[in-house]
Amino acid sequence: MKYRKTVLFFIVVFLSLLFLFPPLFAQEKEIRIGVLYPLSGAAATIGRDLQRAAELTAEIINNKTPGVDIPMAQWGGIPNLGGAKIKLIFADHRGEPDRGADLAKRLILDDKVVGLMGAYHSSVTKTVSAVAERHGIPMINDSSTSPELTKRGLKWFWRTTPHDDIFNKDLFELLKGLTEGKVKGVKAFPKDQLKNVAYACENTEWGSSVAKSIEGFAKEYGFNITKRILYNANSPDLTSEAKALVSVKPDVMLFASYLSDSLLMIRTLKGMKASTNFFWGQDAGFEMADFVKTLGTDTNGVLTRTVFIAKIAKVKKVAGQVNALYKKKYGDDLTGATARSVVGVQTWAYVLNKAGSTDPKAIQKACNEINIPANDLVMPWAGVKFDATGQNILGRGLIGQYQKTKEGMIDLEIIYPFELATANMIYPFPGWK
Amino acid sequence: MALIDALLQGILMGLLFALVALGLNIIFGVMNIVNFAHGEFLMIGMYTTYWTSLLLDIDPLLTLPVAALVGVLLGIASYYSLIRYLLRGPAIAQLFGTFGLMLFLRYLAQFLFGIDYRIIQKGLLIGKSLSIGPFIFDWTKLAAGILSLFAFAFVYYFLNKTKTGKALQATSINKEAASYMGIKTDKMNAIAWAIGGGTVGIAGGLLANFYYIYPTIGILFVMIAFACVALGGFGSIKGVFFAGLLVGILEMVFPVFGSLVNSDFLGPHFKFTIVYLAYFIIVVFRPQGLFGWKN
Repeated sequence: MKYRKTVLFFIVVFLSLLFLFPPLFAQEKEIRIGVLYPLSGAAATIGRDLQRAAELTAEIINNKTPGVDIPMAQWGGIPNLGGAKIKLIFADHRGEPDRGADLAKRLILDDKVVGLMGAYHSSVTKTVSAVAERHGIPMINDSSTSPELTKRGLKWFWRTTPHDDIFNKDLFELLKGLTEGKVKGVKAFPKDQLKNVAYACENTEWGSSVAKSIEGFAKEYGFNITKRILYNANSPDLTSEAKALVSVKPDVMLFASYLSDSLLMIRTLKGMKASTNFFWGQDAGFEMADFVKTLGTDTNGVLTRTVFIAKIAKVKKVAGQVNALYKKKYGDDLTGATARSVVGVQTWAYVLNKAGSTDPKAIQKACNEINIPANDLVMPWAGVKFDATGQNILGRGLIGQYQKTKEGMIDLEIIYPFELATANMIYPFPGWK
Repeated sequence: MALIDALLQGILMGLLFALVALGLNIIFGVMNIVNFAHGEFLMIGMYTTYWTSLLLDIDPLLTLPVAALVGVLLGIASYYSLIRYLLRGPAIAQLFGTFGLMLFLRYLAQFLFGIDYRIIQKGLLIGKSLSIGPFIFDWTKLAAGILSLFAFAFVYYFLNKTKTGKALQATSINKEAASYMGIKTDKMNAIAWAIGGGTVGIAGGLLANFYYIYPTIGILFVMIAFACVALGGFGSIKGVFFAGLLVGILEMVFPVFGSLVNSDFLGPHFKFTIVYLAYFIIVVFRPQGLFGWKN
């Protein structure tokens, strides 16, 4: 009787300990990372795609994945943390900066995440990173490109993607290349065919910073900006914006638009029979899978800056392998945005592995010292290595062009950098007939 | 020339804005209820046109009767299943009730149709433009403007020339007196919701010809519709018509004017500031709106 009581006593003690300190007895440790994306509202489509890419990457890291030639695919968890699994906790900021900040606080205080990732919209990343900074929690930003974000002297913020200054420089290099005959399949054009530049950018943090950056480079490269438009991406009608653009008969039209406004803008311009020589979009709306799915062949000849084009698989094996996994699961190719989400989660895994701890200080140190080799990335980058501001200095951009194939489908071909070009550029922009 | 062009384009958009706002105003006029779900009715009209034209492989313009019918049924169903019960509660219940309906319809659409953006690719007028001298009109917008005008004329005729329409107006002016005269308030309310749903259904069908379709699209237009209703006068059909036109013209002419005088300050990013400024001024000097008579 006494013996049974003792056994019972120890069982009760054991169970209560288990209840009080589950991590002590947990079979597998997990590391929580808070990921903020726009999962509802006007940007829900991109949020969903980003979430899918992030989840797929976490799966690759957490389980041994054959057929992917990246070391992390054979890890089955974070090696230096005893095989701990990465658990992504998603939060929906709906594209609202104040909501993003609230959610970040909740993720840090309630969900006890070891770090943050996101938030796609630069405006939201700005407020989220401010919260992370205040709490001393590391944030790795995968896909916000406003240059200002890494100019704020933050100690807990790192960005893997190149920013808009780098992309806009690429744009002007391409324009310059056109005048010098460097572009595949296009003879040199006199500069006065491209001199007259007009832009329309959405008017939040991201679009206005793109506008500012375009201004700077136009001056540097000697192009003349004849129309500057900042517009509200949630406007029910963009006719007046499109009219204003067309009114100056620009040779070059540049856009920084999210998805809904890019669709509306192109439809509106088409209705006006607008014509120009060079039609370029700054990523975001222009390079999403839904952009082509929705507009179809109306996108023929449209250029977009990006960081990833499925055709990169021709020169980069791992890009093709990860893309194939994604495509098999979700039916779409990876895009510049979703591929950056892959790199974001991957960077988190490498950083955690290097830190060998979930202590914020250790992670901070690891972030500052991390150096991910080019071969491990799906991107055509030289690697991931942060400078003192937290900006990855080894990233680079691509410029792609949507081109109609013989079968009437649309392919995204690489046009810039010139040495990676996969097709002749269509120039001038064919317009909508 | 650019200003005349902007004026014409503004009128086309304005007619559509007015049609969107019309249903909102009729419901408010008759029942004193603000229908927050109005934008979602619009969204459902758009999806109706999209799916009908896609599945039956017919021109999107031919689907307008279907969109109108779906709108009418939606209006009636909303009234009999929800609004009628809300009327028994305090005013705040009506506010929350239609707000709840808005969320329900929005997320139901998201659940059923997903969060992908859709655009109608095929249609008689889609992608075609009409050039008259220096002016270029998108055929879909031209058709939307003209058909909106017809829809408006039809509703105006119905309200002023038919017995039911007059009864509806009587209820709108004085519910109690109308019911003493033997007009059934309940029936009138249902008719108001039917017209409200039907007109916004047509507006959605027209809009779907040149606009992208998305579960949360309603909010973009319903804000404008609220401004039109307040600007034109609560309950006034004439008012909402002119207010819609005014909003359309202001948002189109203002940025073009700014562009002519080469001012970045008068750019398109402030176009709705001007619209709401006009609203503010009118509300200060004429609180009942341009043609309103209700307090």
